[in-house]
Formats: sequence, C-alpha cells, structure tokens
Amino acid sequence: MNPTTTAIDDHRVVTVRGLTKSYGGRVAVDRLDLDVSAGEVVGLIGANGAGKTTAVECVQGLRRPDAGTVRVLGLDPVRDADRLRPLVGSQLQSSSLPDRLRVGEAVALFSTRRARDADGLLERFGLAGKLRSAFGTMSGGEQQRLFLVLALLNQPRLVILDELTQGLDPAARREVWSSVAQLRDAGTTVLLVTHELDEAEVLCDRVVALRAGQVLDAGTPAELVTRHGGVVTTRFGTTSDPAGVVHAVDDLTGVHHVEVGADGQVTVRGDRSSIAHVGAWLVGRGSIPADLRVDVPDLETALLRLLDGPEPLPTIPAPTGVLR
Amino acid sequence: MTTTVHAPTTSSSHPSATRRLVTAELRLLLRDPLTLTFVLAFPIVSMLIIGGSFGTDADAAFPVDPTQWYVASYFTVVIGATGLIMLPVHIASYRERGVLRRLAASGFPRWSFALAQAVTGLLAIAVSCLLLLAVAAPVYGVPAVEDPVRVGLGILAGSLAFVSIGVLLGTVMPSARAAQATGLLLFFPSFLLGVGGPPPAVMSDVLRSISDVLPLKLVTDAIREPWLGIGDATGSLLVVVVIAVAASALAARRTAL
Repeated sequence: MNPTTTAIDDHRVVTVRGLTKSYGGRVAVDRLDLDVSAGEVVGLIGANGAGKTTAVECVQGLRRPDAGTVRVLGLDPVRDADRLRPLVGSQLQSSSLPDRLRVGEAVALFSTRRARDADGLLERFGLAGKLRSAFGTMSGGEQQRLFLVLALLNQPRLVILDELTQGLDPAARREVWSSVAQLRDAGTTVLLVTHELDEAEVLCDRVVALRAGQVLDAGTPAELVTRHGGVVTTRFGTTSDPAGVVHAVDDLTGVHHVEVGADGQVTVRGDRSSIAHVGAWLVGRGSIPADLRVDVPDLETALLRLLDGPEPLPTIPAPTGVLR
Repeated sequence: MTTTVHAPTTSSSHPSATRRLVTAELRLLLRDPLTLTFVLAFPIVSMLIIGGSFGTDADAAFPVDPTQWYVASYFTVVIGATGLIMLPVHIASYRERGVLRRLAASGFPRWSFALAQAVTGLLAIAVSCLLLLAVAAPVYGVPAVEDPVRVGLGILAGSLAFVSIGVLLGTVMPSARAAQATGLLLFFPSFLLGVGGPPPAVMSDVLRSISDVLPLKLVTDAIREPWLGIGDATGSLLVVVVIAVAASALAARRTAL
C-alpha cells in the first residue's frame, strides 16, 4: 500500500501515515501507518528495537519524524506541542520521578487546570493511603499505578502507555493490568506499547505487530491468532474402526488432517471451526469421549510465529477496522 | 486520619506550571543530603574553621582583618557549591532518570524547567548566604559593606553566572555520578585557589596566575573587594556579567523542554 495515498482522518484520535525515523542511518521506524479511534485500546507490539517506542515518541511529539505525517486529535505533535501535550497522558519508558517526591506532591505537580478528582483517581488505583509516601520507597506496582494516576489526572483524550509492566513481578503486573482494564472499561483511548504478548492479548482491542520498524500485521487478537496461530488440535480416544473414524472426520469442515494412533488416540488438526464440527460429530454419534482435549493457539503463539518468522509477510491483509 | 490532595480547580488561581515546579523543587532541595551538606553546612563550617585560623590583624597576607576577609569570601563558596555541585547533580539525575522527558510529555511549558532551576538555585544561594551571615555575626562579626551597590551587583551577577553554569553542566553530563565527579573536580580547586583557601599574597606566582582566571575567583573579587573597601573590582564584575549572560543563554537553550 502506498502510504501517501491514504488520507488523514482528523476524526481519529491518532492518525499516522508513512512515518519514518532513522538514527544515524539505522531505520527505527519505516513507513508506519497507524490509526487509533476513540475508545480503543491499541497495542504496538514487537521485540526490543522493533521501533515501538520511537513510533510513540513521534506520536507524543518528543521526536521529529524524518518523513511521514502524524496527527493526534487533528494536531501536529511537534508543531502544536503546547496545545496537544495537555490532552495526552503519558507513561514513558525508562522515565521516573525524583525518589524523594511524595505521591501527593507528584499529583500537585502534574495537575493542570484540566485536572479533576485527584482523590478519586488515587482511590481507584489504591494509592489514597500513600499520599505521604516518597516515590523511591514505593513498590514497582505502586509506582506504575502512580504513573497511571498522573497519566489520567488531566482528563486526557489519549493515554500512551509504554512498557508499563517492564520489570514488575507477576503479581504487580496483574495489578497494573487490572488498572488498564479499568481504563478500557471506562472508554479511555489507549495506545499501549509492549513486548509482552500476553499483556497485549489481555488488554488490547487491536494489535499492530512491528519488526525492524515495519508493520508485520495488524488486527484484533482473534484475527491475528486465526492468521498466524497455526492449527487447532483436537484429540480423543476411540474404540471404533480407525479407518471409518478417519474417513468421517476428514470430511468435516475445517479439518486439515486426521490420524489415529496405535493406542486408539485420534488427532485432528484444523482451523478454529474444526472444533465445532468435530464436537458436533461426536455429539451426533451419541458419545462424548472422556479424554476429549482441544489445544487452541493463543495470541502469544501466533505472534511469536509471526515475529520470529524468517521474512516479513509479503502482503499485509487489510484487517477489519482502521489499521492498515 | 484522612488526607486529601488539594484537587486543582478550573479557577484562575490554579498555580502555573513554573510555580508548581518551583514548589516541588524547593521541597526536594530541602530533602537532598548533598545540597544540605555542600550548600548549607560546608560553607558555614569551613568559614568557622578557616576564619579563626589567622587571627584578627591585617598583615602582609591579609589587607584587612582575616576573619572579615573570610566572612566576605565565603559568600562565594555558597555560590560555587550551588552552581558546581548542587545543580549539576540534580539536573543530571533528572536527565538520567527521564524526569525531564516526563515533564516535557506532560505539557510543561518549554522554559518552565530552566526558570524553576534558576529560581531554586538563586533561592538556595540567598537562604544559605543569610544563614552564613547569621552564624558569622556572633562569632566573627559581619564586616560593614563599603559599596552596597557593587556588592549587590557582584552577588547577583555571580549567582546568575554559577546557577547557569550549574544548569548547563547538568544538561551535558551523562549521569548524576559523572556530574558529581566533575562538579567536585571543578569546585575544590576553585574553592581553595579562588575563595576560601590561602590569600593570593601567599600563593606562588603559578598558583596566583591560575587563581586569577578562575570564574569563582572573579566572583569573589567582585563581591569581596567592594564589600571590604579594598578595590572596586570593575574588571572582574564585567567578566562575571559576560559569563552570566552567556551561560544563561546557553542554559536556557539546553533546558528547553
């Protein structure tokens, strides 16, 4: 797709066309197109060095693109930085607060005229009792929740969260996920940058996978699983005639391959629809095997296959929605 | 106990970004042991020790009572410690930890951080100098100011110059540790040769030549000479003003968010 032919849509919260950014000859972001609509949680995923952070820094106006167009709420993030930045709440990667700054002081420091209900936010994110706690004495999860409070404090129209759970233990990660889920449920528009694929699956409405600055694919987690997750495997035991079972199951919709082992275990490989058809066939036979097992690939499996693949996909199917 | 964050309102009384930054910075300043040590405690303790080491009579080395010489000189130690140690370490740690990026991304106006650092640095100098005088008064007495206008100009230009140098250093140092090492390396020779060490009359020619070109020595001359009535130090004052203007411009540019 030629990015220059795609029109900017100022009704979107974020519209990026042909964004390119290099550092000393190394291309960090290569002709990126991206759209984020109001109320969506969109994830930018990829390995370290994929260009995710550079892309969002251009969206925030912290870096000037070499080429391409970026519009956030209809504004140019660099040229209109003074107007735009108060409308965007940010959690930046590798960005901290002074260790001796207390929670209440941080809230006072980052509160603008647009700020509303700081107490309510602190309550919502479990920090109401920590007002006098110094930032440096807080746990990683508490610090990240404070960053979320600060990002939301001034009623932003877009929240950018860059590697929000980096370095957190599993419990703290769940804690922060729960906070982001609250944002999603409240209809906040979020651009989430992560290399944690399970995080993207849990939190994102749509996902854009990047490698070497280029979009590999984009879509809802389910779409990406369907496209890249590989086959669904259904297994069950049978005492019936193996050849008859193979013949019957092989004819079912969505089934790619059937085999029966010496132990009578039937292994059926196919797409997601095969689960329903095999299930219906088993029900139709009047007996559901006690050892029935289905292995369905998740987003992590799908994206690992995609991101670890030898070459970017030659063509990127235009997914449903606005990601191109 | 219920504690409430003073939630901002939409009224015009909501403090500006610069004011909010200055408030936070002053609080942090008071909690910083490095600042309290070098900007508050070190000049006062050093003044008390050195000031009482050479008696009270003018001689070939000291053109005036040595206690008065050192009380007037140690004003500049505060200025040097603020500019060469406190601010560089503070600002470099902000850069290292990404605090400046956070401020920029959060919509703080372009010049707010530079302004906040200037205000914080100047206030730190003012408070420390007043404390120094308050301690000196009952012990050695505070020498009469012979030329208040020139002394005032010297303090103002010297403070602006070193606050700006401090901000500038903080923006070019890669880390807080590097800033601390560089700051200490710049501070102690300046302190010993140009401010609180031996008087120029007892230095060797080489040391005196080095001392004469140290910016902190120029600030000391611009304050001490008109204060004690031993000269007007016009040349030193002019150079300090030039340093102040150049360093301020560079510092403001480097700290734009």
